[in-house]
Amino acid sequence: MSVAQAEAREIQLEAPSGLWSEAWRRLRSNPGAIVGFVIVTVFLFAALFAPLIAPEDPRSGDLDRLGGVCCPGPSADYWFGVDQQGRDVFSRVVYGARFSLLIGIVSVAVGLSVGLVLGAAAGYLGGWVDSAIMRMCDIMLSIPGLLLAIGLVAILGQGIWQIMIAVGVTQIPIFARLLRGSILAARESDYVLAARSVGVRGRSILASHIMPNAMSPVIVQGTLALATAIIDVAGLGFLGLGPQDPATPEWGTMLTDTTRYLQSAPHLALIPGAAIVISVLGFNLIGDGMREALDPRFRGRA
Amino acid sequence: MLRFVVRRLMLLVPILLGLSILVFLWIRALPASPAVSLLGERATPESIAQIEEQYGLDEPIHVQYWSYLKTVAQGDLGTTIRSRRPVTDELRERFPATIELTFAALLFAVTLGIPLGFAAAKRYGTWVDHSSLVLSLLGISIPVFFLAILLKYIFAVELGLLPTVGRIDVLIDIEHPTNFYTIDALLAGDLAAFWDVIKHLILPAIALGSIPLAIIARITRASVLDVQNEDYVRTARAKGLAPRTVDARHIFRNALLPIMTIIGLQAGLLLSGAVLTETVFAFPGMGSWLVEAIRQRDYPILQGGILFVSLVFVLVNLIVDVSYALINPRIRVS
Repeated sequence: MSVAQAEAREIQLEAPSGLWSEAWRRLRSNPGAIVGFVIVTVFLFAALFAPLIAPEDPRSGDLDRLGGVCCPGPSADYWFGVDQQGRDVFSRVVYGARFSLLIGIVSVAVGLSVGLVLGAAAGYLGGWVDSAIMRMCDIMLSIPGLLLAIGLVAILGQGIWQIMIAVGVTQIPIFARLLRGSILAARESDYVLAARSVGVRGRSILASHIMPNAMSPVIVQGTLALATAIIDVAGLGFLGLGPQDPATPEWGTMLTDTTRYLQSAPHLALIPGAAIVISVLGFNLIGDGMREALDPRFRGRA
Repeated sequence: MLRFVVRRLMLLVPILLGLSILVFLWIRALPASPAVSLLGERATPESIAQIEEQYGLDEPIHVQYWSYLKTVAQGDLGTTIRSRRPVTDELRERFPATIELTFAALLFAVTLGIPLGFAAAKRYGTWVDHSSLVLSLLGISIPVFFLAILLKYIFAVELGLLPTVGRIDVLIDIEHPTNFYTIDALLAGDLAAFWDVIKHLILPAIALGSIPLAIIARITRASVLDVQNEDYVRTARAKGLAPRTVDARHIFRNALLPIMTIIGLQAGLLLSGAVLTETVFAFPGMGSWLVEAIRQRDYPILQGGILFVSLVFVLVNLIVDVSYALINPRIRVS
């Protein structure tokens, strides 16, 4: 058997794997991403089945439980302790997962959908549409994210939906720029030129060559944006700009005012804070793993 | 080079104009009209009409924008509602605090982040590398305000080592000619006061510096990994230079470019992003000022503050771009 024959055979033996199945295979062999998946699964589970998991109503408490001190720490009855209103912190943290999931999904959906439309329009249409959209993005990016969100909350008013939308809006220019850049890069790439030269039609070049390649950085950014959104909304909640009803079990809002009880009841700050860190870490791990799995430059590295 | 700077400055013009339009429209999009927000809760229809005439709020919107632009260009950001002082006066007290804090935070992030990233790259794939990756991942996953609360709990509440609020002990009375308390203390020749100011800076600086630390460590690692496989590094090794010389002269110097850029960008972010850290430590800088303003619906402060902070942010980014072009000739040509 000649070398060429052997090579030909090897090539045939390799199953033709698409971009996504290969990326998925690489993602599964990344220990960080697996830890991320485990964390996010637990988080999703808590969010979906909160009423079944949480022993109590997260909003109503019993002041008698305090016994005159603030506040009883973790015990067999109350795993994560009791807060200053006599509520079960464990139940509040579990229900908080719902809010954080909602926050992540809503804000990223706002940022992603508007950003993608603007980015695609800028990338495809070019010309003055492109310049107008990109200048608008530059202006939005010149206002620091958290301040932009605070300014929007001032217009929209306080509340959990308002802060989700505000955080989503701050992500619009990021997604718009990202998709525009990758569409432009994909349009000029050799594989699109190759497809065009063998006579593939415009629409299928767009669907099967430009979009899949342009979308992969967007998916990575989307996952990382979930993490950022959870942190930012928690920050706004911590500043007291979140839900108007302070009984709402949102993790950031739960951290407000706990600094006053740091000496007597550190669990009030530590537990919701740890919940934020762990869930954000989960999304960041998956996002990092996806970046490595989808980026061709990482291919071939073990 | 001059042409590059001029072109970069020209690009700034539409951004600044857009920014001023955005901030101008913002105050008109608020649920309360500007007159009401100026007068606060005690507004009557007569006083509202009077204010609207006084500030030209009954004129067409483009006329209003033009006069707004003119007053801002003269350095007038209006008067606060609570204290009735010019916004710029309060700004002059608050901004130096944030600059001091940003400087301290960057100092912390750079002195730790660069060696950490360098060590990780030199020991690529070992436990040093892995733990630095885990640390930097944690660094970007922990909300700044939670880290601030943790630090406050450990170092101030449990160990009682450091102060938790403010910039200086209330009992220390020194003059504040510059509002940079470190400089003020040195000018007064009061070393005890200087040390007190430093102690007040430590915890906020660590909290604020954590994200830049993680990012600087990551970039340093990636940049050193890129550079150490370059041909000139191999040549330097082949001609028998000591490993330390190669590290310092050939690897580190060339790896420094992206690191410098990221430090500059982080400086811009920190100057504006200290909102949460300053709130936790009741540090009287720009961030806590804006948060108080939104709580008290002091919209002139917010309007002027956001405009000012964004201006600083854009200018710092411009300086980063220009200095990048100074170091790297390839940028200037393209």
